[in-house]
Amino acid sequence: MSSRGASSITNKRANAGINRRADKGGQALLHATRLTLKVFVAHYRKAPLQAGAILIGIVLAVTLLTGVRATNESAIDSYGQASELLSAQASNLVTPQPGKPLSESLYFDLRAQGFHHSLAVLQGTALDSTQHRWQVTGSDLIAALSAIAPSSSEQQTEEQANEFADSKMPLSGPLPLAAMLAGEPMLVMSEAQARRLPEPWLNLNGVRIKVVAVDEGYKLGDRLLMDISLAQQLLGKPGELSYIALFDPPGERQPQLTSLIKGRGELVESDNGEAMKALTNSFHLNLTAMSLLAFIVGLFIAYNGVRYSLLKRKRLIIQLQQQGVRRAAIMIALGLELILLVLLGSLIGFILGLQLSFWLQPMVSVTLEQLYGANILPGQWRWQWLVQASLLTLIAALLACGSLLRELLNQPLAQSSGQLSQQRSSQLAQNRLMLLACVLGVITLILMPLSQDYRLTMALLGLVVIAIPLALPYQLRRLIALLQKISPKGLIGYQISETRELLAPLSLAMMAMLLALTANIAMNSLVGSFEITLKQWLDARLHAQLYLRPPASQMAEVEKMLSQAPEVTGLYKQWLLKSHYQQTPIFLLTRDPYSIEHTSIIKQARPDLWRAFFAADADTPPLALVSEPFAIKQGKQLGDKIQITALGETELTIGAIYYDYGNPYGEVIIPPSLWHRANLGETPLSLALTLNTDVTQFSQQIQTRFELPQALIYSQEKIKAQAITMFKRTFSITQVLNSLTLMVAAIGLFSACYMLTQARLAPIARLYALGVNRRQLVWLVIGQMLLMVLLTCLVALPTGALLGYLLIHKVTLQAFGWTIAMVWDWLAYLELVGLALLASTLAVAFPLYQQTKRPLVSSLQREVI
Amino acid sequence: MTRWQPLGLIALMLASLVLPGLMLQGCDAPKQQSKGMGDLMGSDAGYGSDSDAYAKVIPGQKLNFPQDHLAHNDFRQEWWYLTANLTTDTGEPLGLQWTQFRIALSPSSPESPTSNSSWATNQLYMAHSALTTSNTHKANERWSRGHPKLAGTTASPLTIALDDWRWQSEGEDLFPATLAVNNEDFSYQLTLTSDAPLQRQGDEGYSIKSADGAVASYYYSQPFIEITGTVTLDGKRQRVKGQGWLDREWSSQFLTRQQQGWDWFALRLDDASTLMLFQLRSQPLSSQEKPFFSARRMFADGSGRNIASSGITMKVTDWQKIDGASYPIAWQITIPSEQLNLSVSPLNPDSLMPLSVRYWEGPIQVSGSHLGQGYMELTGY
Repeated sequence: MSSRGASSITNKRANAGINRRADKGGQALLHATRLTLKVFVAHYRKAPLQAGAILIGIVLAVTLLTGVRATNESAIDSYGQASELLSAQASNLVTPQPGKPLSESLYFDLRAQGFHHSLAVLQGTALDSTQHRWQVTGSDLIAALSAIAPSSSEQQTEEQANEFADSKMPLSGPLPLAAMLAGEPMLVMSEAQARRLPEPWLNLNGVRIKVVAVDEGYKLGDRLLMDISLAQQLLGKPGELSYIALFDPPGERQPQLTSLIKGRGELVESDNGEAMKALTNSFHLNLTAMSLLAFIVGLFIAYNGVRYSLLKRKRLIIQLQQQGVRRAAIMIALGLELILLVLLGSLIGFILGLQLSFWLQPMVSVTLEQLYGANILPGQWRWQWLVQASLLTLIAALLACGSLLRELLNQPLAQSSGQLSQQRSSQLAQNRLMLLACVLGVITLILMPLSQDYRLTMALLGLVVIAIPLALPYQLRRLIALLQKISPKGLIGYQISETRELLAPLSLAMMAMLLALTANIAMNSLVGSFEITLKQWLDARLHAQLYLRPPASQMAEVEKMLSQAPEVTGLYKQWLLKSHYQQTPIFLLTRDPYSIEHTSIIKQARPDLWRAFFAADADTPPLALVSEPFAIKQGKQLGDKIQITALGETELTIGAIYYDYGNPYGEVIIPPSLWHRANLGETPLSLALTLNTDVTQFSQQIQTRFELPQALIYSQEKIKAQAITMFKRTFSITQVLNSLTLMVAAIGLFSACYMLTQARLAPIARLYALGVNRRQLVWLVIGQMLLMVLLTCLVALPTGALLGYLLIHKVTLQAFGWTIAMVWDWLAYLELVGLALLASTLAVAFPLYQQTKRPLVSSLQREVI
Repeated sequence: MTRWQPLGLIALMLASLVLPGLMLQGCDAPKQQSKGMGDLMGSDAGYGSDSDAYAKVIPGQKLNFPQDHLAHNDFRQEWWYLTANLTTDTGEPLGLQWTQFRIALSPSSPESPTSNSSWATNQLYMAHSALTTSNTHKANERWSRGHPKLAGTTASPLTIALDDWRWQSEGEDLFPATLAVNNEDFSYQLTLTSDAPLQRQGDEGYSIKSADGAVASYYYSQPFIEITGTVTLDGKRQRVKGQGWLDREWSSQFLTRQQQGWDWFALRLDDASTLMLFQLRSQPLSSQEKPFFSARRMFADGSGRNIASSGITMKVTDWQKIDGASYPIAWQITIPSEQLNLSVSPLNPDSLMPLSVRYWEGPIQVSGSHLGQGYMELTGY
């Protein structure tokens, strides 16, 4: 839009300012700055779009940054604050010994021996009438509640006395303790969960249970809490516990504790969520990387906005200087303007970001819960995020715009807007950017093969991500030059030649677009490839038709019946328990020899694996198969030795590494003979069947005969479907962010095209006056823009493929431990191109349409950039 | 003697446990306020209509031993309450307290189909322990549900226990017994013996708690206990000996709506007699209205004399401000019929129990017409 109105106001005001220049020094500067700011405000009032473009960029950048940050931090905080339900954080846990249940008698003994700050907990899953699985936690409620209250005058300080008033709240809170202690069917869930129930009752494992809703302050997350009296009955585990939480560190009573627990359970130090943090690290890093990408894209837009608004004010600034306003004053005014915009944009972005995180959190917590078994609590936001985001944006904006400002101020006052010199300087800049991109590319090329850690790889990937858009203007210029050579003369020739001139003003928006396109293509190919790999793996991994997991109490009976049933042609078993390798939780498992040999999809193996693996007896060191994620995360190779907590001192040698996409935890398979020798439990966890009859019918038959809930019987198809849904979830959140980034870029492209077309109304009108008809003009302008976008998409193709390759073969492999074969998805790519074209067409068509409503002469009078 | 403080606790418990349950059915439960003793005293929120369903305290019921040493689960509340004035090897005076409270959450045992678990119970236990010297005062609290392995009583031999705080008699009677209490900051192991007969308070153990006799409890005491043992304080172990006093009390309703707090005294005088004395305040101490008094002068042969409320005068002679509340820590007690004119002062004026309910409880010295020692409890301030 024109700044002519603004500048005429300026002239008068500036004149007035000069007359008053009697007062010297700082005051004069201050005055001049204020005056200049007033002029700028007047300018923006005339051209709100320019301020809007800058704001949009900043708002989008900060929104995504804050949104993801809040989501991530609330999840990570949840791991750290993983306290016992309604209670304090445990310092130690007593867990069952492998293969044996933990008896409640140990809890009674611990308390009778004075380890009174302890809590008995029983956990399990229960099914409701819709076959939905619920996490059930039963605990000794009185012990849980009294653990928060200070029990000793010794510990009381002024502050604690105050806290104490609050900590009494659970006792006087909304829990119907009397009924719960009496073992009445009653459970507690968070208000958020309870709202989703049609009525305040839940039918769990066939028992109708009253639901009591409590607010989020109780930090229940998705868990159901009940008294242990009910939980033991409901889960069919009378006399059993899942673990005992010890709130006080044992200190000098450690020997007494150890001897009390010996042979009955295992003492594990609580890691305050460290294991969970380690497990989910790569997931959160993924999100952070995506948010940074979005931040960069947003900044591009903001930068583009600043640049444009400065260009539009070039003449105005020269006029101000000609009126005698000092450069320092203009510089300060421009700086202040930028700071103001950044602060405003950050604040809006911050608020929107919190909203975004509110929206993202359920998605993230479902993923984390299903994948890692982590419980996510609603998080709290912090003011620091706003401060940090504002500072980051401000620094980035100042760095990016510094050169623009300097350039603007150093221009000779007498300079007419010399198109040619501008063209030349922009070419020079493009060459420099290309050079920088090449340097970054070379650095990555050298370092990438050396990187073994996904964090370093991610950082290198960041360099590539920066290099790709930097190289764009140069590439576009070359591509257009190429087109120019082969294009016919006349209007089309004019069109292409002019496109080249548009390159400079549009290149920033194009860079943002390219970045988003590249990331999107890369992400698409990652997700697509993963899905195909997963399907293939499942096909090989699932050999049986029916999988069951009867309760341990029924296992023997079910096993006996199945081994005698004539329909069953093969019966396969799996034993599994959770253990630790060093501090990392893993699954230790074994299967029958046939299943191990035929369903482990081997990536690497020592020669003569199976004979050596199954031949292991008490004298030879046993072999183990480890999953690929385990091997990669622990940095283990074939032939390395490992020790698993559940196996005590026994050393295992890695005999093979197998592909595993079914489990974010590491897995270690040991020979069945070793499993039984180590006394890890005789009862298999699950069974698999091959049948010579109809699967559905047979599964119904078993279900009715043993009264098994449907959720404990899986057909092969059901497992496949579930596995794929579940693992798509791993990427669903990144995909959402990815789409958001693309949206941000589309908005950027739109605003850039819109501004540019506005600015070009005068030359277009000139062409019209020269006799080019409207239709041709529309095609001309839209064609130019589409050409630019198409060329950008063309550049995005190889760069997207490159980024995808690195994501799949480097980052995902190193972070998740999944080898994935890359598959290229043309359809997704074409969809993206379509989206980009649509955004730019709309952006161009809108101002053109407006123009047709205006008289020709008004367009002719508009300024040229 | 009236362990009134338990009453307040029980009122708290009931208000918090029973009422919210009812409120939930209204779905829109108002936020519960954190309760002070004064609030509880003022409002007997817990004593709703369903107190009718609990067993009642009726006059003329004979106390039955050893059965009555055990828990009476059909009454709403109950306690076993020991205080002791001891001396260390180096001659330093020291007071200690152990109390186990029982609270019934509902009048009858659990009966729902899902409640056939040993964990299911309608009984809740709480215990307090404290140790006081002239310059330190330490107090601890424990909670547990009633459960044969966690908290409760057993008959043969008699045990009253919560976790590792344990009264263990040799036989079915209260004495001889050992009492062990372990805490991070202090612990004690005591041997308790007594040859004196038990003292039934009030009318053969029927002790009224208001002038109109509307509220009463079953109440018996053993004011003549010989104690030896060891006390560990801040890692320092010391031998101790001295005298103790045990109170047993149970009921289903304790306070009237108006009663605000109580001041209770257990005094051991130098003429080998003991005095149990309490006052229940309906009004602030400054007001003109006379509180309800109850007292009994007791002797080691099992004899004793009840003293009528009208024959007792008590006056505060000193106040101590602790954490924003003032406690009347010194008193002048006059009972003309017994020729008693006693001045009572604390061993440690800061004997505040900063637990689930705040109250003052600690050892005291007696001077005036008699010399002596004892324990004082001040609640509702």
